Amino acid sequence: MRKSILVVDDEDVVRKSVQRILEIAGFDVQTAAGGPECLAILNKGFKGLILMDIVMPGMDGWDTIKAIVEGGLFEGNLICMLTGKEVPDIKMDYLKEYVLDYILKPFESSKLIQICGEYLSYLDKP
Amino acid sequence: MLKWIFKGLPMLNAGIIVVQHMPKFINDSLRDSLSSVTPMRVSIAENGAALESGTVVIAPSEVHLSLVENRIVRLHHGSKVNFVCPSADVTMKSLTWDLEVLFVGVVVTGMGRDGADGTVHIKKLGGTTIAQDEKTSSIFGMPREAIRTGCVDFVLTPDEISRKLIDLVGVK
Repeated sequence: MRKSILVVDDEDVVRKSVQRILEIAGFDVQTAAGGPECLAILNKGFKGLILMDIVMPGMDGWDTIKAIVEGGLFEGNLICMLTGKEVPDIKMDYLKEYVLDYILKPFESSKLIQICGEYLSYLDKP
Repeated sequence: MLKWIFKGLPMLNAGIIVVQHMPKFINDSLRDSLSSVTPMRVSIAENGAALESGTVVIAPSEVHLSLVENRIVRLHHGSKVNFVCPSADVTMKSLTWDLEVLFVGVVVTGMGRDGADGTVHIKKLGGTTIAQDEKTSSIFGMPREAIRTGCVDFVLTPDEISRKLIDLVGVK
């Protein structure tokens, strides 16, 4: 089954630009404007690579990861933080083991595509 | 990041242990990914196995990896250290004084301070310590904490780390 990428970011321009970059590169991409929307997509059965913004209003990236783990939705997914915040707060300490990598904004398109391809290949293995 | 370092590595005259926290279901994928870029034999660590020169063993998820007498892998359950399991500090601090062994500790991009205490320990054993540079680190947290201990010998890019490892331990 082909795996998808879920971009979670409250900023419309970031969401759409990342989606466009990755779709042009041939990936299937879904987007969520925040934690609740992300959880709804996962509850519908999404499996793949999640690119998660940290700073979002209401439910931030760490809150969302906590909800993913507590809701039993983590298995089969990989999470990378796609963030402009270089040093995330102490909130992440006990959640960092669920984060595979960090991609700092602004990012190079080629690097983003390379990283996504690499991690999606991890999920393609039986 | 690991792939970037390993793609520059020939068959080193050393055994390498990789400690990275990751979901268990991608352990094999990481092994295959590293295997695809280095001639060194890459495997998931098994309890009781000896660390051999020319090989890479990856600490499996959800257990700590220690070395007994600097050679025999011991996998053990335990509390998280630095909020993670496996912890690089646990592995690095399990090493013991041995004049016949050259220890090299490398801390690459990552969140938190895992690897910092291990870096101090390896330095105390007379080993060589390396941290990834800020420019190439997605997150500079772990390398920064290692550097702050004052026990890091070299701050390098991934390409430079590969070359330094070759210089330090040699090729088989």
